[in-house]
Amino acid sequence: MMTTTELEEMVERKTGQHVVKMKGVSKIFPNGNVAVDNVDIDIADGEFISFVGPSGCGKSTIFKMISGLVENTTGEIEILGSQVQTAQQKRTDVGFVFQDATLLPWRSVLENVMLPLEFQRMSKVEKREEAERALKLVGLKDYAKSLPRQLSGGMKMRVSIARALVAKPKLLLMDEPFGALDEITRQSLQSELLRIWESQKMTVLFITHNVFEAVYLSTKVAVMTPSPGKIASTVNVSLPFPRDDEIRTTHQFSDIVARVSRDLKF
Amino acid sequence: MGNVQTEKLEVNNEMANRKKVNWKFLHSWVPPLIAFLIVMLAWQFGTAMLQIPPYILPKPTDVFMATVDNWSRLWDSASTTILESVIGFFFSVVIGVSGAIIMASSKILERSLYPYAILLQTIPIVAIAPIIVIWFGSGMNAIVIIAFTIGFFPMLSNTLIGLNATDRGMLDLLSLYQASKWQIMWKIRIPAALPYIIAGLKISCTLAIIGAIVGEYIAGIGGGDGGLGYAITVASTTMEIPYLFACGIAASILGIVFFLLVSLLSKVLLGSWHESEMKKD
Ligand SMILES: Nc1ncnc2c1ncn2[C@@H]1O[C@H](COP(=O)(O)OP(=O)(O)OP(=O)(O)O)[C@@H](O)[C@H]1O
Ligand SMILES: [Mg+2]
Repeated sequence: MMTTTELEEMVERKTGQHVVKMKGVSKIFPNGNVAVDNVDIDIADGEFISFVGPSGCGKSTIFKMISGLVENTTGEIEILGSQVQTAQQKRTDVGFVFQDATLLPWRSVLENVMLPLEFQRMSKVEKREEAERALKLVGLKDYAKSLPRQLSGGMKMRVSIARALVAKPKLLLMDEPFGALDEITRQSLQSELLRIWESQKMTVLFITHNVFEAVYLSTKVAVMTPSPGKIASTVNVSLPFPRDDEIRTTHQFSDIVARVSRDLKF
Repeated sequence: MGNVQTEKLEVNNEMANRKKVNWKFLHSWVPPLIAFLIVMLAWQFGTAMLQIPPYILPKPTDVFMATVDNWSRLWDSASTTILESVIGFFFSVVIGVSGAIIMASSKILERSLYPYAILLQTIPIVAIAPIIVIWFGSGMNAIVIIAFTIGFFPMLSNTLIGLNATDRGMLDLLSLYQASKWQIMWKIRIPAALPYIIAGLKISCTLAIIGAIVGEYIAGIGGGDGGLGYAITVASTTMEIPYLFACGIAASILGIVFFLLVSLLSKVLLGSWHESEMKKD
């Protein structure tokens, strides 16, 4: 077991500058829906932060604002040191994984993973090499030539993750990526995601409905409450890395789960 | 021991598969063939028994003889019709698909042009065909334009629906990469619309033949050779009823062949990824 100081040191080492800064951010949709209300959050470099909360509390909306798909009504958002609009210009910095894999059914696995690189200046050979590297990272390099419909749900999700990783993002947004998977597949993808996160030195923002998943994966859990959507609390998860499956059965783990669940009820 | 057993099992399986394939083949071809034979026999002997004269309803053998006797005449007419409808079909595909792409790329264009496309569709082709003949002369040009007009709208509307039905998630994905409007069009919207475009092709290809025949009815022989539509009008005035039947059957065979060719194309283009063409097992 690690001591608290060791833990703090570790978190210190992993985290540094702020990657995402949100100040007084709200989103009011044209129809009057207040999806997100006055959210303040700073996310440090190297963090793995999960957003948990009931359906409709504005989790996806926050991600869409961060990625520039949706414009915020009020407040300021800074990504990787610049305002969202300019941050968007460096589009390789931010990767996005959606709830469903959104693979192009007419393209092979490799061509799907190459998609983000097609909007960059890069030689064909380089693109292929990068895509193969990303596929290897998610353990699918033998399936490069397969079509999406020949893959299982878990494998499709891996391809989707590989596609998000291929451009080496500094910030990875994942909106309920494992929501549609069975528990066993889900757990093995969780461990894999942690392994990738540790090796790639990036910041991950992760949406889930599942408190256990959030605690297992994260350095921090942001608990959100609905109507209007806001961040109720941020819980630090002071469990050591690398995390194995055993950690799910420890007291510390269940304590943190209990804490997050309690905050959710408010 | 175990190996031998599995081997045997595999062999059995293979045999079962082969049988199943044969059975499936019989299953889908035998019933319609039997129905066809029964209808033919009833027609043949019914007309003989009821003493229906051949100028009202010729026997199948009469039609067959007329086909054989007039083969070169029939073939000339059919190839004229094929040529006209292929050209008309080609233009309805090219103009329909590119029109849809243009409309899909701009909401304003879609809103201002689409109503007129619908209007064009609601005007019965026989009503505007004479005008087209007056404008373009009673030759191949007019007939091709009529074939085009009738096949154009299904291509346009199907493609447009397909282009507008692109998955929201894919569009979001591409806008994350800062893809331009045309990159989104080429990389996502057009390939995703392919099944709709193919559905349009299947409708338009048979319509093009109908258009060509209607055109020939109205335009007549014009400068060159007459097509099947013209042959039908001639045969009905000269009372060559068996030949009239032969022309009608030839026209519908053309339609079927056209349709099968487009279906084949669809299998080649979509077979690997789209549900509508996946093997059902
Ligand atoms: N385009 C839109 N127009 C109007 N209201 C919207 C729009 N998109 C989302 N909303 C509303 O904003 C609120 C937050 O939506 P959001 O999708 O961010 O929720 P969520 O937390 O991601 O939910 P879930 O867990 O179900 O995905 C909801 O009440 C929703 O109805
Ligand atoms: Mg959501």
